[in-house]
Amino acid sequence: MSTQDKVTINKLPTGVPGLDEIVGGGLPEFSFNIIAGAPGSGKTTLAHQFVFANATLERPALYFTVLGESAIKMLRYQQQYTFFDPAKLPGSIRFINLSQVVLEKDLGAVLEEITKEVESANPAVVVVDSFRTMVRKPQSDMDLQSFIQRLALFLASWQATTFLIGEYAEDELRDNPIFTVADGLFWLRQTAERNSIVRKLQIIKMRGQASVPGLHTFRITNAGLQAFSRTFGLVGHRNAPTSHRRLLFGIPALDEMLGGGVPEGDSVLVAGSSGTGKSVMATQFIAEGIRQGEPGIVAVFEERPQAYAERAANLGLDLDAPQKDGKLAILYLRPLDLSVDETMHSILDAVQKIGAKRLVIDSLAGFEMALSPGFRADFRESLYRMIFALTGIGVTILSTVEVDESFTEFPFSTYSISFLCDDIIRLRYVSIDAQLRKIMVVIKMRGGNHAKDIREYEITPKGVVILGKHLKDFQGLISGIPVHSDRSDRGEELSHDPKIKNQA
Amino acid sequence: MTIPPQMRDLANRLVAYEAATKKASEPMESAAPCVYDKLRMRLSALAGVAGFQALAFRALAQAKADAPSLWAVEVAADGSLKGLGESKPPVDIDNDLAGEGGVVLIGRLLGLLLIFLGESLTLNLISDLWPDAAFDDRISGKGRNA
Repeated sequence: MSTQDKVTINKLPTGVPGLDEIVGGGLPEFSFNIIAGAPGSGKTTLAHQFVFANATLERPALYFTVLGESAIKMLRYQQQYTFFDPAKLPGSIRFINLSQVVLEKDLGAVLEEITKEVESANPAVVVVDSFRTMVRKPQSDMDLQSFIQRLALFLASWQATTFLIGEYAEDELRDNPIFTVADGLFWLRQTAERNSIVRKLQIIKMRGQASVPGLHTFRITNAGLQAFSRTFGLVGHRNAPTSHRRLLFGIPALDEMLGGGVPEGDSVLVAGSSGTGKSVMATQFIAEGIRQGEPGIVAVFEERPQAYAERAANLGLDLDAPQKDGKLAILYLRPLDLSVDETMHSILDAVQKIGAKRLVIDSLAGFEMALSPGFRADFRESLYRMIFALTGIGVTILSTVEVDESFTEFPFSTYSISFLCDDIIRLRYVSIDAQLRKIMVVIKMRGGNHAKDIREYEITPKGVVILGKHLKDFQGLISGIPVHSDRSDRGEELSHDPKIKNQA
Repeated sequence: MTIPPQMRDLANRLVAYEAATKKASEPMESAAPCVYDKLRMRLSALAGVAGFQALAFRALAQAKADAPSLWAVEVAADGSLKGLGESKPPVDIDNDLAGEGGVVLIGRLLGLLLIFLGESLTLNLISDLWPDAAFDDRISGKGRNA
């Protein structure tokens, strides 16, 4: 059958930001869906968002309530959400209570009542909240199956997209006939992880189209549910740069070490222990980008944006003006129960808003701390998804990571994420001549050759400044306790002559 | 606490509007029960019979304090009113709102809707029930951009 012979299934907006992408572009029109989950998981709110997004005067929504939350209280609470438009009630959205018929009669009468209302209103959307309560009275499996079958057939034939809401447990998935009949199955979960609450949703089933598999985090705010796809909404958005352009760090000697700068679209890791200047380098990277006309984003977790900007000002870097000009966004993300997907959403919003080319994540340790404990366990996998997604749309990422100094090892990161990074710059302290000095080395550059030199640097009021030539007269520098190759002949002594500072 | 003047005013206007639409042969007193019944039908559909009955029971309890003429009125299981028109007991005539009991009860009912649903939804509901009437500008005194 050719493509043009196939029926086109229209996709309806879910009304939940992020959810359309997860379900495969929108909810299939005329589908018969279940929203399942425990009390408080957001089932009713999700249904309301769908209803408000799709109901019209011509094709209204019928919202059947049964025993459970009183419709008046439901409306009282739901109207606090920003998506709730009172003007849509009662013309476009009609609430109908079925408690009486459910209590006093059988499922046949319930179906009859629903049929009567649907025939009268010709709705585009039908919600039954809660369907679980509706069928709670003892009845044979056959009666229940028959009722569900007839209800599904009737509503589909009336071209209504339906949501049945129910408090189901996951072990019911195998035996409950409702799950067999349903075209779409949304499962909402809310779990406590230590002191954090984590909400996740899963599309267990979606007939007719491919949904994004897996558990997606979501949050409920005064705007209702917001879902964060595991693919960050970037399916089909690969836009990796092909120019082989290099982005300058703004530290001439380092740019030279990097073979002319960081390849555009790379992920760079700057690793070092506390006080080695990781954040300073990151700030210089972002400031240089702004100088070069490349807007940037800084995601900070360990200090507030104002403090970050003030620290940059101490280095002579003005981050206030580019923020006002829309060339820079400093994001402070630290609610302690974040998911990586939420963080990504904030970052992507900012990327799209200012057309960012550079992103600094300062630091990965702070990022990890801002996450809910459950997400910390998946941090490595999440970073992989995030870096892949962002570099895929052409953003060059610089992440800082603190590593514990050791005199027996030379670790690049505490997260075993070096494989995720195209380029790694390692900073560390060394003990030379009874001084604690700092050295820098480019460990790897996936995109090309780079200097192998170990260079000494200092943090000055102008930022990171690389001193002199490489430290060729020392051995064991990366151990932190180097030995001079020939203590009788210092040869090329470390130069602290300001005239040669910052020269490669 | 007595009935807020805005609620009483709105109830008055609803009853007057309903009376004006009645045939001349129908008694004027039937307008208030008619308004009540329209609200009952709509709210029962919205909140269920039990939901409406609970609201009506509370509204009646409040209204009886304002209008002793309602002393014999009860809310039936389906939310309808029983005992309207029963002969009155001795009452303090100054506080008696005899003859206006229905208006007071409707005012109290609308007052509860205002508390629970807010002004917009309450006015939408009234506009839907009485589409040709214009009642939507003065519940809370803040006005409304309809």
